[in-house]
Amino acid sequence: MKSLVLHWFVPQESNNHKSNLLQPGIISILIAVYLLNQSLLSSLTFLRPGILGYSSEITLEKVLALTNLERSRQGIPELKFSPALSESARLKAQDMFSHNYWAHISPTGTNPWDFFRQANYSYTIAGENLAKDFYDTESMMKAWMKSPTHRANILQSKYREIGVGVANGVLNGVKTTLVVQHFGTPINSKADIPESSSISLIPPPVSASEQSIPALSRSDSASLISPLAISKTIGAIMFILIIGVLVIDGYLTLKRGTKRLSGSAAGHVSFLAIIFLLLLFTRQGAIF
Amino acid sequence: MSFFKEFDQKPFEYLSLLLILLIGAVLFVSFAFNPSSQRRVIYLTSAFYFFWSLYHHYRRGDLHLSIVVEYLVIIFFALVLLGSTIL
Repeated sequence: MKSLVLHWFVPQESNNHKSNLLQPGIISILIAVYLLNQSLLSSLTFLRPGILGYSSEITLEKVLALTNLERSRQGIPELKFSPALSESARLKAQDMFSHNYWAHISPTGTNPWDFFRQANYSYTIAGENLAKDFYDTESMMKAWMKSPTHRANILQSKYREIGVGVANGVLNGVKTTLVVQHFGTPINSKADIPESSSISLIPPPVSASEQSIPALSRSDSASLISPLAISKTIGAIMFILIIGVLVIDGYLTLKRGTKRLSGSAAGHVSFLAIIFLLLLFTRQGAIF
Repeated sequence: MSFFKEFDQKPFEYLSLLLILLIGAVLFVSFAFNPSSQRRVIYLTSAFYFFWSLYHHYRRGDLHLSIVVEYLVIIFFALVLLGSTIL
């Protein structure tokens, strides 16, 4: 047993002075195992939708508060909550869940402005921001503020009103929370509409969209198993295994002064360690 | 030859590798929530690492096919694990 472990993890004569785990063939098998895991997760989301998912603590009130906080920090007037815009955001979210898509324009060609019309909201200028898979509102707002187009929507001084939809449901087989922000300035607003008519009644660059659909209670949400967490855990185990064996292998080879034809252990460890850290610190969530 | 001796002899090579990896990491983090840009950063960083390895082993005089394959497998391992998980 001991010799088997040494054969796999320690460079010695039996493995031609290179840990067996570091042989290209064995690493290729690890890659195949990981890809198999990813395929199984995809199959699970397809065959048993709703088993996996992203839990969330996002609330409509917090989205509104943080949006206005960002605006006030820039000295831009706060947005007024609009029930009509919230309705359009809710319709958008419902549409994304029911047609299983994640985009500003649906596969059937419905664009965000159709939802504004359905909610009887006539606007001079409007915008949309979308987010999904985020656990908390703060991370989601940070992601939006880092994106120039989403940030432009949030800080657009011509908008007067906002509607937000926070909806739970199953998208592409994964339970998740969609957040849709709809911004607008109603036609009868006393707002200073710029004289340049080019922006009036022309849909601005889209950014995000939202809202509530029944499903997923908070207790359901809390017990969800995130596919990202599963992949990250398995990936982390593999990275630690390979990096650990590379360190042992490199150390012993240098200590013993073994002459062999092999790549730079220091180079491999540095490269893999950086990629591992990136994997570790990547957070869940997507914006559109 | 210990790693430190080799580092003393070729500090430029190891420092350039460190620089490549750090720039890649910073760019990757700065493109958070922008998967297409992050993908490009990771591909570029991996390509630079591969070219670094060619230069490094060429200078050492042991650039052989088995070593090139080893680097390619390590890079593919990292790309698959990071790429298929988060990008």
